[in-house]
Amino acid sequence: MNTIVLTVVLPLLAAFVVPVLSRVSPLLGRLLGPLTLAYAILLTLQVWLGMEGKPFSIALGGFQPPLGINFYVDRLSLLFTFLTLVTSLLLWPWRNETEPRQYALTLLLAASACGLVLSGDLFNIYVFYELISVASFGLAAATRSGAAFAASLRYLILSGLGSVLVLCGIAIVYLQTGTLNLAQLSQLAPETLNTPLGMSAFALILLGVGVKGELFPVNSWVPEVYAAASSRVSGLLAGLVSKLAVLVIVRLLVLLFQQESALQLMLILGLLGAISGELAAWRAKDMNRMLAFSSIGQLGVIFIAFSIPGKTGLFAGLALSLHHLLVKPALFLLAERWRGSLVGLRGAGLASPVAGGLFVLLALSLVGMPPLPGFWAKFLLFTGLAAQQSVIYQVALGVVLLSIVIEANYLFRVVMNLFQPAGDNSVAVTTDHGWLNLGTTFLLSALLIAGMLLMGPLGAWLEGVAMQAADPVLYFDTVFSVSAIH
Amino acid sequence: MMPIEVGTVLYAGAIGLVVVGIAGIVLSHHLFRIILALVIAEAGANLLLVLSGFRWEAIAPIITGGDAVQTMVDPVPQAMVLTSIVIGVGVQALALSLTLRAYGAYKTLDIRELQRRMSADLAGEAGTPLPQSLEEPVGGRPLPAAEGDGR
Repeated sequence: MNTIVLTVVLPLLAAFVVPVLSRVSPLLGRLLGPLTLAYAILLTLQVWLGMEGKPFSIALGGFQPPLGINFYVDRLSLLFTFLTLVTSLLLWPWRNETEPRQYALTLLLAASACGLVLSGDLFNIYVFYELISVASFGLAAATRSGAAFAASLRYLILSGLGSVLVLCGIAIVYLQTGTLNLAQLSQLAPETLNTPLGMSAFALILLGVGVKGELFPVNSWVPEVYAAASSRVSGLLAGLVSKLAVLVIVRLLVLLFQQESALQLMLILGLLGAISGELAAWRAKDMNRMLAFSSIGQLGVIFIAFSIPGKTGLFAGLALSLHHLLVKPALFLLAERWRGSLVGLRGAGLASPVAGGLFVLLALSLVGMPPLPGFWAKFLLFTGLAAQQSVIYQVALGVVLLSIVIEANYLFRVVMNLFQPAGDNSVAVTTDHGWLNLGTTFLLSALLIAGMLLMGPLGAWLEGVAMQAADPVLYFDTVFSVSAIH
Repeated sequence: MMPIEVGTVLYAGAIGLVVVGIAGIVLSHHLFRIILALVIAEAGANLLLVLSGFRWEAIAPIITGGDAVQTMVDPVPQAMVLTSIVIGVGVQALALSLTLRAYGAYKTLDIRELQRRMSADLAGEAGTPLPQSLEEPVGGRPLPAAEGDGR
């Protein structure tokens, strides 16, 4: 069971070995990263089969919590460890022969993301979050163009502001409770953090972590970075890193901040993000910017879903997150050869029908066409929102519907453009997507179809994951019976 | 007049540093000032963190036979502050090196100018018209254009 720690340790070790190894033997340097990730995936699957659905906790270095730092392993954190490793492997920067540094940064991102997901200590989570930030600054600047440097610099400044806010929030939590162990906090929180001061701590942490989660007021970095970075990096940031930030906030909501006002704050910010993101995407003139803004909109919808109280919200939010994690990187990969103005794409779908067909499939699922998984995720969101009594949730329902209409409008506009015969004045588009990008997109789309066919069992399983994650008592009991399992 | 406690001053100072830093990040246009403002804000957050475990009556935990745990300050926030200072320094160094690179590419340290040129670059690469500046009014100006105003 303790082998789960290796999913953090091995990629971290490999990240520092890769630059040195690449000097000695370029081939080994290229192979080390993917092999490490593949082995970590195997380890995760092994733990998954071994735990039989029961959560457990590992006291690192033998120091028992609340004094030591522990890793909390339940189905949710294992699921996200698995997804982190698989996504980093799928979006591995293969084409980059000259840059072992980019391998190192991707490995660093994977290791710290696993740590973030598994950690059971608030400050430890902050440290891993900063590690993810540093890795993503490097990846965003990796194209080495002037625009990429400027965009990552602005991203860094906003992110630095975010970490200051998180630190202040952590200081308030520590001041009020005297501990940062999540399990112990979950027991103390109802008395100590259910105050205006506790609420301000949540608001600070929400805004700080929200920088990565593309939350409404702190997301101005998104369009610039996604337009300047390579498609694989954009896919990684939009698909994976944003979900990790959301996951941190969800854990804190379940364990620490159970008051209603915390949920409502997140709901309002999510609403603003959803509507502003979709409107900006509707106005966007080029592919990468459109995808970036639509990603802000969808993250807004995910925040709305997680702000529904109880396990309904968790279930709907998880379904939406998984769907977005699958679809967005695939769209960014397709956009690699289609970057540039949307008008210039006229006829591109006719020139490469496979890519065009995949784009249509992904767009339909993103909008929520009935048999596709995107529909079921949104269906869960709607039933969850409709079951709430409060007016603000009814408003949210209307806003989400509106955002879907806008989304359908701009996505179908692109599809129309792709399949119109090219006029004389249109720019010649590159039709060759490269087997690597097309293959990866194909794999992700196949997963989407598989998800559609297995929707029944998949839904039941995901509901189980949500049920387990929504239980703070289970969290506490698991962590403090650690010696028994150890 | 009521005496002001040292603790109050320190808390006010910490929050004040954060506020000053954030104001600097938002209001400055020079990149180097923005990074310095970030440093100030981080210092404020670190001070807040170290204050969260401080006790005024505490003494150094030298084992003299008495109960050292009762008389010392909480060591956990101090360990955390060390970590966060180190992280902060790393991020600041990264920010400076990115600033150098951005300066090398665009020859300016004004963040508005930098953003304008970056947007122009990205729009040129994508082949789309320049995004409308939010500060410029849409449509024609009511005043006659001054000499050399055509940007």
